[in-house]
Amino acid sequence: MAAFNFRPMMWPIAAAAILATVGIAQPPSPPPDRWWKPDEGRRFPAVLDYENDYGVLRTLLIGGPIETRDHAFFRAIGPDGRACVTCHQPADGMSLSAASVQHQWQAVGPRDPLFAAYDGSNCPSLPQQDRASHSLLIDHGLIRIARPWPPLDQNRKPVKADFTIEVVRDPTGCNLDPQWGIDSARHQISVFRRPRPVANFKYIEAMGFAYDPKAGMPLPVDPDTGKPVSGNLMADGRVLSLQSQMREAAGTHLQFMKAMDRKDIAQILDFESRLYVAQQTDRVGGALEADGAEGGPRKLADSPAGRLGSQGVAIWSEFAAWEKPAAIVKDGSAQTAFRQSVARGARLFRDRTFLITDSAGITSPVGFGNPVRNGCAFCHNMSQMGMDVAPGQVDLGTTNQPFADPAPHLPLFRIRCLGKPHPHYGKMILTSDPGYALTTGRCADVGRITLQTLRGLSARAPYFSNGSARDLRGIIDYYDRRYDIRYTEQEKQDMVNLLKSL
Amino acid sequence: MKFLAVLGLLATASGAATTGAELRFLSCPVYRDTDAGKKSGCWLATDPASGIRYDITTAPTKADWNRAVLVEGRVAANPADNPCGGVVLEAARVSVLDRPCTRHMLPAEGFPGRKFVLPDRNVRPLYASHDLPPKPWVAQNFIIPFDFDSDFITYQLSDYYLDRAVSYALDVRASRVDIMAYAATKPTLVSGERLAEDRAIARSRAERVRDWFTMRGIPLQVVHIRWQDAKVPRPGPETDMLVAPSLRVVDIRITPGA
Ligand code: HEC
Ligand code: HEC
Repeated sequence: MAAFNFRPMMWPIAAAAILATVGIAQPPSPPPDRWWKPDEGRRFPAVLDYENDYGVLRTLLIGGPIETRDHAFFRAIGPDGRACVTCHQPADGMSLSAASVQHQWQAVGPRDPLFAAYDGSNCPSLPQQDRASHSLLIDHGLIRIARPWPPLDQNRKPVKADFTIEVVRDPTGCNLDPQWGIDSARHQISVFRRPRPVANFKYIEAMGFAYDPKAGMPLPVDPDTGKPVSGNLMADGRVLSLQSQMREAAGTHLQFMKAMDRKDIAQILDFESRLYVAQQTDRVGGALEADGAEGGPRKLADSPAGRLGSQGVAIWSEFAAWEKPAAIVKDGSAQTAFRQSVARGARLFRDRTFLITDSAGITSPVGFGNPVRNGCAFCHNMSQMGMDVAPGQVDLGTTNQPFADPAPHLPLFRIRCLGKPHPHYGKMILTSDPGYALTTGRCADVGRITLQTLRGLSARAPYFSNGSARDLRGIIDYYDRRYDIRYTEQEKQDMVNLLKSL
Repeated sequence: MKFLAVLGLLATASGAATTGAELRFLSCPVYRDTDAGKKSGCWLATDPASGIRYDITTAPTKADWNRAVLVEGRVAANPADNPCGGVVLEAARVSVLDRPCTRHMLPAEGFPGRKFVLPDRNVRPLYASHDLPPKPWVAQNFIIPFDFDSDFITYQLSDYYLDRAVSYALDVRASRVDIMAYAATKPTLVSGERLAEDRAIARSRAERVRDWFTMRGIPLQVVHIRWQDAKVPRPGPETDMLVAPSLRVVDIRITPGA
């Protein structure tokens, strides 16, 4: 995993951005840390840059800066002293990197509200002073997500599931815990997931088509508004709107049992809808929007959302200009080589095909075929964003055996399908996170996880919902194994350089 | 007849494929790993009656190499067109069945496969411009085809027709939507087996289609569903004039509002 280093350059960048927007007014003292604590009262500038392992990540707040004092996203609400920003950090692409967690543990220890017992530890019943009780968060960047069993539908009515779930292995103790486990009065299943980036929502909420071809149905309808929604929120699609996500976050992560008031909700929605995050500069390749390229968040903010790359602006054509030799001859060989590599990576992402097998959501029930020859851009098909234009619940195998990487630190569940067998796994499935099936109650959905945004990746290792890819190379290696792609070493490097630049 | 038999022999080793004949058979599909870019792989299935290997790739529903398929279609006219190494079935329909098959993949063996082109029957994106139908608005009928024993709305086939129906209902502010769903419950002999759809599938089809209307904003009280066993085949463009698939449809009648 990338080491967390405090490079001398880092503060000047963040501070410069803050100063630039504050102007000559009373400059805030330079933040003591890149970590945003609840209730700090910093100003969130219109342009906020943070350095990471590969360069600089930029966050744009369209429409100008906000004061975070008393702002619902930044205010500590609930008894644990946490705020939304605790887990959605600007320097981490509005997600949370494991490196930042490690830094907080070293600097502050269990008193930091990040490590609150409810979901910032492996289980609330564990001794909270011990590092071991927070190992999933510290070592893998994972938050405990407690899901009701049986699942509840959008109107909070129990869903009749077509499978049973049993605990095979419970390293955190939480699934068999008398107070927190499946058989406790709470009837909850604990899975462990990465925070998803809170930014670029124009894309995440965009509806490209009126239908979800994976389900053969119209888009899901938000019960609060009666209107269709994109169906692309949360790993398991359990909430359909940012409003209901807030209600759930307040009740779980923040342990805040009072409903958030309308002003708070409006304030958070306003903030979320104005934020764009992407890598802006690469340490080797330089500015990602230089010489005709269109990397960085500005292009994201300015483009129409929810378009299919295959029918419009090809995905990662942001870097097409770097394919032309004229654009890249300038600054010496390392920069040139990097830019060419990124452009090749973008091509590979679109054009390099392989056989996609046994990946529910793609190879069943929709009739693309099993197998189907296609590439990264088949699933990651949205221009500028790389998520799925349709509701993106797909089983990549990141949580299901036999495809998942060994994960002795995670719980393991045994799923038995009561009705029809699963189209690819049969009657019994071993999984560390049933994903979408915890929302639908269908065994055919076990392990289907909603695709994330691919922007700002450099700032938020580890990857995949369960953190199973330690770094960007880990993602490429996983796909290479999973679909037997057989990338050459050069191709892997090109793909990694592309991902770094998003 | 002799001419046709020669065509068949040209295309495959054994048996004769009769051009234009409507075929129906059960088979275990084989995937041929051709590579002409995305979605260019080939699906082949052998008719157990004749031993002829057909190219079923153009069916809207592609096969699953672990499961048996019901294949329906017509033998294509042009024997020279052989991108996959099988006698091409046109208007092909593939229904994936709940029966295990041996997974098998053939290498390309020199066959090019087909480069993907967006089929004509594709749903337009929401951001594409859309004109209201010219007045006077009249009642219109729509037919939605289904795979065998399935209520799944087939991508780039059924969704296209159903989207047209739903869009029309929205455009003309339908005062009434009548949905009549059918199931092909009368057993027919296919590859030596008596094959019939489950009667309950007609109702599931009716309910699915109803949900499409209501989820897109047509009030529930406007939508009326019924279902029954199919009696007479009505081949039409939705089923590419095939007889057997025309028994597995949903009829929709949309009456415009004021
Ligand atoms: C304890 C850490 C934590 C806190 C505090 C927290 N979140 Fe999250 N957030 C997460 C995790 C983990 C996920 C992913 C959950 C999943 O996929 O099941 C997430 C997901 C989200 C998403 C979904 C993004 C997407 O694209 O799917 C939004 C929006 C969000 N959080 C907003 C908020 C808001 C607003 C607050 C404050 C009210 C908040 N979060 C507080 C950890 C946290
Ligand atoms: C069959 C559909 C599919 C294909 C093909 C596919 N992906 Fe993904 N991708 C997903 C899904 C689903 C997830 C979320 C999985 C999870 O979180 O467990 C994902 C997640 C990712 C992520 C992680 C994002 C994050 O924030 O953690 C990256 C990066 C990514 N994919 C890159 C690629 C690349 C590169 C390729 C081509 C080699 C590719 N994907 C091909 C479905 C696909």
